[in-house]
Amino acid sequence: MTYYIFTLVFFLFDYFILAMGLNIQYGITGILNFAYIGFVAVGAYVTGVAAMPANTVGQHYILGLGLPFPFNLLLGGFAAMGLSVLIALITLRRLRTDYLAIVLVSLSLVFYDFCNNYVSLFNGADGLYNVPEPFAKTLGLGSNNFIVFFACLTGVVSLIMWFVMSRVMRAPLGRTFRAVRDDAVTAAALGKNTFWMQMKAMMIGSFFAGIGGGLLIQFGGSFNPTAWLPAETFVVFAVLIVGGAGNNIGMFVGALLVETLLIHLPAFLPEIPGHPGLIEYIDTVIVGVVLMVMLWFRPQGIVPARLRKTASFGVDERLDEEAGELDRTTALAGVGTRAEATR
Amino acid sequence: MTLLWLSVGFGLVTTSVLALAALGLSLQFGITNYINFAYGDFMALGGFFTYFLNNEALHLNIWLSMAIATVAMGFFGVLINRLLLGPFARRFTSSHYVLIVTFGLSLIMLNVIYSIWGADVRFYSLPPGSALHIGPLLLTTSQLIVMGIAVVLVGAVHTILQTTRLGKSMRAMSDNGTLAMTSGIDTRMVTTVTWFMSGALAGVAGAVLGVSEGNLTPAAGELFLFVIFAAVILGGIGSIYGALAGAVVIGMSTEISAAFINPAYKLDIAFVALILTLLIRPNGLIARPGMT
Repeated sequence: MTYYIFTLVFFLFDYFILAMGLNIQYGITGILNFAYIGFVAVGAYVTGVAAMPANTVGQHYILGLGLPFPFNLLLGGFAAMGLSVLIALITLRRLRTDYLAIVLVSLSLVFYDFCNNYVSLFNGADGLYNVPEPFAKTLGLGSNNFIVFFACLTGVVSLIMWFVMSRVMRAPLGRTFRAVRDDAVTAAALGKNTFWMQMKAMMIGSFFAGIGGGLLIQFGGSFNPTAWLPAETFVVFAVLIVGGAGNNIGMFVGALLVETLLIHLPAFLPEIPGHPGLIEYIDTVIVGVVLMVMLWFRPQGIVPARLRKTASFGVDERLDEEAGELDRTTALAGVGTRAEATR
Repeated sequence: MTLLWLSVGFGLVTTSVLALAALGLSLQFGITNYINFAYGDFMALGGFFTYFLNNEALHLNIWLSMAIATVAMGFFGVLINRLLLGPFARRFTSSHYVLIVTFGLSLIMLNVIYSIWGADVRFYSLPPGSALHIGPLLLTTSQLIVMGIAVVLVGAVHTILQTTRLGKSMRAMSDNGTLAMTSGIDTRMVTTVTWFMSGALAGVAGAVLGVSEGNLTPAAGELFLFVIFAAVILGGIGSIYGALAGAVVIGMSTEISAAFINPAYKLDIAFVALILTLLIRPNGLIARPGMT
């Protein structure tokens, strides 16, 4: 029982982190990152191989540094961030939304295909397993106690990340991100380098993705390519949209409702005899339907992003940073409704 | 040398499948201006419906089942547009929402297919055919029929677009939807017809993909989707003739490269083509005006 509860707690906090990362990219800056799970996977793999010893019988992988816990996790985060720089350089410069979405979806399929086939990188289709559990030896934890301990640790990590993210979102940087999302042309006209802003959002978001992925592999001890087909990106989008794009509390609520209640709770149901995996399939269909219903009836999510106060037009030394905020029609979580068209 | 000619033969078949699929995706994108991420699952559904008629329900001939499934998928496309995508596209001007909805639709369709048919690999029952030597190429009867279907359907779409009033309206809408509407074109009707064509092409492409690959899995459409994307972007998104050109390049290059490198990486060849296009000529071979 403790095992179940703390597994759910772990996924709650982990998806909170993942959703915050996607939120800064999509909810705040408006980059439709359909390859998000690719960055999570890179974070997970790098965290894993950084923790594992140089050689393990029966597994092929690169690095194998045997780093202790927080350092391998950070390395995973930075690896995801580095990859995002590379991808942003190729894709962000001149692609409009749907091109970008296509390229990113393709990219996530290629990551999958490549890792699946190129065994010496991350052990191919088998994935990594027997990744050392952090602190389990030093603290002498059994597998049940480890789950409790690690769920709490993830909670602490997610609180730190939440603190950092809410600072970023409140800072001038966050306002500029929103300005780029609402009207990139206006933001550029006011002297903002929109490409660089989107790049920063990609980097911050991917770091969160990498950390979230690293925690996943440390919790389960294994990771394989089937765990990150595009469907998994969709789950993070569902968390984001159900919770309410654009604010962090919403991400927590979304993670609780979608990831914990809709996805992981049914996983504990017994299988229907003769139909392996049927519960999971139906469950995924339900997640898709819930997302569509939410988008139609409450596109701002359960916890909508609050409207920000308008900067005054008087002399204000911070005005340059807030100028993008003048465009307020879409302030409700970036919902471009009919109002935007008639603007 | 034999291996090379063999892979050229495979290349022609893959090109045929890809051309059908890319044509359907481009037609729909040109009219509605958003990408349908569920397109790969439309293909899978078409393939499995064909399988249902061919192996489970009526035990019809494969080509007859394919024809019925094609028409059925056409109506399915119209239905999806009427009930789901159309309303979302009209309600939200920002294309993000409808993209997320198609992404979700893809997941729903995939899992519905999994729920009904399971994750097992399926096989069509094909009439026994013999391998034929055509010049240096070695092709089976069903591969030839697949190519024939592609040539006939691509020719048919071309004729519709270039000679009929409907085709003219479609091209007008694709160039400028608002202008087309103010010129008195019944855009709603044109959209419906386009969805029918797009759905039907997806259905037939899914079925011929099953024939050409020799097996049928629910996830096959999703993986193939990305090859279609590569073809469509290489050709110039929304440009129908560009999509065909892209299909030829991607179809031939993925199969011929498989003769020289590990075939497991043939998807990655398509991806390299995609990235190179984006770096060198992001608007594609045949750029559509105003689409930067």
